[in-house]
Amino acid sequence: MLARTVFGVVVMMFVLIQAGFAGGKDDIQKYFNDTASKVKATTDPAEKRAILDKSLQTMSKALDKVQKSPLISKEDRAGIDQFKATLKENQDELTGSNGFERVPDAQLNAFSEYVVQNMEQADKTITISLVTALLIVIIIILLV
Amino acid sequence: MKSLFNRSFTSATQAHLMRIVSIACVVFVIFLSSCSTSSLTQRGIPLGEESSPPPHYSMVFVIHGDGDYGFHDPLGNVHRADEEALMRAKRVAMQNPQAEVFIFHEKPRKHTLLFFPRRDGKFYYYRQGRMMVTESYWRDQGPSRFDTEVKLYNQFHAAEQPQPVRVFLYFGHEIPEYDGAGYDASYSHRTFTVRDLAEELKRITPDSTKFDLIVLSTCFNGTPHTIAALAPYARTIVASPDNLHLSYFDLQPFEQLDARLHDGDIAGFAKNFALQSFDRLTEDIQTAVTVAVYDVDRVQGFLHAVDSTYNHTLTALKGQKPGSVGHCDCAEDSAYALPGISEGVDVFYRPPRFGRSKHKLNHSGWECRRLSK
Repeated sequence: MLARTVFGVVVMMFVLIQAGFAGGKDDIQKYFNDTASKVKATTDPAEKRAILDKSLQTMSKALDKVQKSPLISKEDRAGIDQFKATLKENQDELTGSNGFERVPDAQLNAFSEYVVQNMEQADKTITISLVTALLIVIIIILLV
Repeated sequence: MKSLFNRSFTSATQAHLMRIVSIACVVFVIFLSSCSTSSLTQRGIPLGEESSPPPHYSMVFVIHGDGDYGFHDPLGNVHRADEEALMRAKRVAMQNPQAEVFIFHEKPRKHTLLFFPRRDGKFYYYRQGRMMVTESYWRDQGPSRFDTEVKLYNQFHAAEQPQPVRVFLYFGHEIPEYDGAGYDASYSHRTFTVRDLAEELKRITPDSTKFDLIVLSTCFNGTPHTIAALAPYARTIVASPDNLHLSYFDLQPFEQLDARLHDGDIAGFAKNFALQSFDRLTEDIQTAVTVAVYDVDRVQGFLHAVDSTYNHTLTALKGQKPGSVGHCDCAEDSAYALPGISEGVDVFYRPPRFGRSKHKLNHSGWECRRLSK
């Protein structure tokens, strides 16, 4: 029985470690991709806009919370700042504030794709450690 | 009864011991194979037994996969950029019976059973459209970086005359112009810069014959510094000065090169390749798409004119936090906006559909760096 338990724990460790390696940034990308899928699944422009707005706000809140955590390094805080700036521009464009033209209703599907691609590209230049990325994902799960 | 118990206990203990010894043997074999410095080579057809004519084309693909290369297509499907580039490179190799094709796939460091390191490079060699060699290898951990790849290239390269048309293609994230730490996700302290890539090219062009075409399927490498660093080894370079989506340049034009390059016009082929890549990218991508073709001889005047300014900027940027360094079209900076900036560059550009740059109508084909405000 003990041997089985130990074996089970070891297998679980392998699975969790592998999942941790695969997770983090991939999960953040998946979050925006899921948002785009939800936006495309509805025909009502107001609903599309609400889905995008809520998604961007949830991510901003998660970044704020993670940034305040004592577990985060100075480098990661700088990375989160860049991430937040990119998000803020997307939020401003969605609502038409801070000098941006408001995204027209007919272009909301395309805009949701733009957010996915823009975040994926930002992801390549913004440095965030695996721990920070995992923390962001956990907080998003708690907030949604 | 006691004796029966003792016997069954002894046999159970022996069976248990045998199981432990077996497991230990398996682990030991894995350990030995993972620590071995020799490569794991498989040959499809023994080299030397085939009587193949000299190749008309020699292509080298370096596909960096040791990083975050996941992306989503517009339908929401997840893709791995390096795996897809590898698949397309293999298709190119199989569709070109007149070519020799080298493919190096630089993979993330992984372990078997958490402790036993696995080889982090995979090499494929094709001739006559068939895979001749496939080999797992350890990527070079020393300062030379591409030592193993260069050795494999020299080992299998067909040195027959006449010289084939030579093409080099690199797939990966932006190749840094300074610092370069953290390019490999698995080896955070290793560095990789444009100079390292130029050094590799130098080592696989020992007789000073230039590559006819170099393709950089990366973000932000259409810069004066990168093009100048690779210029001694190339006649034509295709690169993106801006962001390049991870779905990369379209390799389809490289399939059946005999049909596309029968007139030997590499520069014309490079422009068609760039245009086709641009067309495919603009179908799906909402962010900016910029593909530039550099005629290396004709851009020399501009490169010489901006060399010291650009190097001065790079020196100033060293030591700055990554977030504080931004990119811009060189034409937007008066130090680079010289009369000859367009000489020798063909640019295919479409602005992003959203964001601050969506009304930017043109791109010079040259990207510069600056401190963000």
